[in-house]
Amino acid sequence: MKLTKLTTSFTFAFALLASLLVHGRAHAALSTPEMVELLKAVDDRQKNNGDWRAGAYLEQKEKDKVDVVYETEYYRRSQDQKFMILFTKPKSSAGQGYLRIDKNLWFYDPSVGKWERRTERERIGGTNSRRSDFDESRLAEEYDPSDEGEEKLGAYTAQKLMLKGKAGIDLAFPVIRIWIDKATKNVLKRQEYALSGRLLRTSYYPKWKKVLSESKKADVWYPEEIRFYDEVEKANQTLVLIRAVDTHALPANLFTKAWLESKSR
Amino acid sequence: MSKLAVDVMIAFRSLVQHRRRTLFLGTAIAAVTALLVLLNGLSTGVEETMIDTATTLSTGHVNVGGFFKVTAGQAAPVVTDYKRVIEVAKKTVPEMAFVVHRGRGWAKIVSDTGSMQMGVTGIDVRSEPKFASVLQLVSGKLDDLAQPGTILIFDNQAEKLGVKVGDAVTISAPTTRGTNNTVDVRVVAIAHSLGLLSTWNSFIPIDTLRKLYQFNQDSTGVVQIMLDRKDVDRKIPEISARLRQALEQAGWRVMPADPRAFWMKFQSVAREDWTGQKLDVTSWEDEISFMTWTLKALKGMSVVLIAILIAIIVIGIMNTMWIAIRERTREIGTLRAIGMHRREVLWMFLLESIMLGVFATVAGVTAGAAIAAGLNALHVHVPTGLQFFLMSPYLHISIHSSALVRSVVGITIVTAFAALYPSLRAARLRPVVAMSHFG
Repeated sequence: MKLTKLTTSFTFAFALLASLLVHGRAHAALSTPEMVELLKAVDDRQKNNGDWRAGAYLEQKEKDKVDVVYETEYYRRSQDQKFMILFTKPKSSAGQGYLRIDKNLWFYDPSVGKWERRTERERIGGTNSRRSDFDESRLAEEYDPSDEGEEKLGAYTAQKLMLKGKAGIDLAFPVIRIWIDKATKNVLKRQEYALSGRLLRTSYYPKWKKVLSESKKADVWYPEEIRFYDEVEKANQTLVLIRAVDTHALPANLFTKAWLESKSR
Repeated sequence: MSKLAVDVMIAFRSLVQHRRRTLFLGTAIAAVTALLVLLNGLSTGVEETMIDTATTLSTGHVNVGGFFKVTAGQAAPVVTDYKRVIEVAKKTVPEMAFVVHRGRGWAKIVSDTGSMQMGVTGIDVRSEPKFASVLQLVSGKLDDLAQPGTILIFDNQAEKLGVKVGDAVTISAPTTRGTNNTVDVRVVAIAHSLGLLSTWNSFIPIDTLRKLYQFNQDSTGVVQIMLDRKDVDRKIPEISARLRQALEQAGWRVMPADPRAFWMKFQSVAREDWTGQKLDVTSWEDEISFMTWTLKALKGMSVVLIAILIAIIVIGIMNTMWIAIRERTREIGTLRAIGMHRREVLWMFLLESIMLGVFATVAGVTAGAAIAAGLNALHVHVPTGLQFFLMSPYLHISIHSSALVRSVVGITIVTAFAALYPSLRAARLRPVVAMSHFG
């Protein structure tokens, strides 16, 4: 009787130890260089090293308000970090646009014919999306990571990282929690926090697509669909669909105020 | 008895003798005077309410605000090193009654059921001597606003957010560097709406505002200088110019005078290529320039109404005088025949009008002042739409003795002026023609 009890105890202890070892191996903490490498990999997959043109459909849902829908075209040039968004629909917003020149983001409204300087962290068209959501990923450059282990997101196994903004860099979200697909290095989910530590926005990236870039001479990955959920005003959400991606070289005069103004004449 | 006393006696007896006409015309003049007093009182009342409300909720009589730009494109309504600004203001403005400083911000207030974009003003409620006297609380305690993490909102905002005293709301705003931040605050007081200025304004302790925007202890939004009442109307441009010069001499960059509210300057400031601190000196009129049109409209309407009323008086008096002269033509002829000069006839009729004017206007201002006092005592509730512009839930008619004297003198002069031409015609009558008149 005593022997049986002892055997059972040993078996249980062994099973527990084995399970801990296996578990420990699976959740072995990543070193800082490994995490930085992972972030660089995430950034590199989305980097184009050239020009970029795509269409973006934005749909904003807010409590007690009519849904707002925008059709836009956005343009990027990696070389000098130029960026521009042109609104094409609805008619009331057609011709409006954002243009980044150096470190300044400008907004143009053809109805008043004026340029206004806006913050780099501007909400695009008043939706929950920001300029950085359409720009090239710079996670490794802007944030210091810390490991939060692995987590299952549906069928995907994700590496969870906590990212804290580097000193001296102005960021809309000083703290981000990110889930990166271990297999593909694509971002699956992001949670963005305020300085106070309050969760502000959760973003989901359910579909990723790739396009062959001539300038990069490799594939560039982009999220075909992004869903933003406002965590302060729970009922607010934004859907962004990115389509018609073109990585061919754009005209040299594209990133100018004159070009954006000409689209509404 | 002096000649003037005799003339006055004759004029008075004449008025008494024609009592029906005197009563009719006198009542009309008195009614117009009372209306004039009320219109003037309403306009003055709105102006005083506007000054009182505005100088409690959103501006001082003279303000030292300004912008701090971290980068050329990011302007925040911040005054750094504000204690030194206060020192300069105290030395430069001896007319100062007291000075307060407040933080300025624009944020999203989010409750469980709704959200609103609105201004958040950071105050130290214990150092605000006028604040409690203007706000009428619906619920809660104003003193609780001294505790960190609290907020005072207005009843229309509370209704929209679906909150009551004790509920928590989140304030969300980007800092001056554009980083998103939030603070959770508890509603400690709900005040009656004060119209346009309270619609988009709320109050939180200044340290909570500093925490939200990540300001340091030396920073505020605006230094508000309150003056003695007597200096408010006359001295503000001079004080502003003096203060601007003193601040420049003390080493600050000062923005050129621009008669607009601070929030209307964001776009122009953001377009300018400078960084660091610039101060901006404004008056209370500048800060509420976007809404003084209501006062101008009211004053314009009063002027039109007064002009119509005066035209009615003039026509009425002239008409009545014509009738009187027609009735009294034989009397005029007799007076001229026994030796009365033309100018004495003119004077007699003018004096009658002046006496009528004095009696009627005195009665009119008395009635107007009494009605105004009655309406003020009744606390007449104005419709919500009107509250928006009047900035008070109640009708406030402000009557000053100087305005009453002005009304008496003004309307009496108008009455005399209206009687001048008919009196001249009466004086020109030839005695023979006048005596043979039948009518």
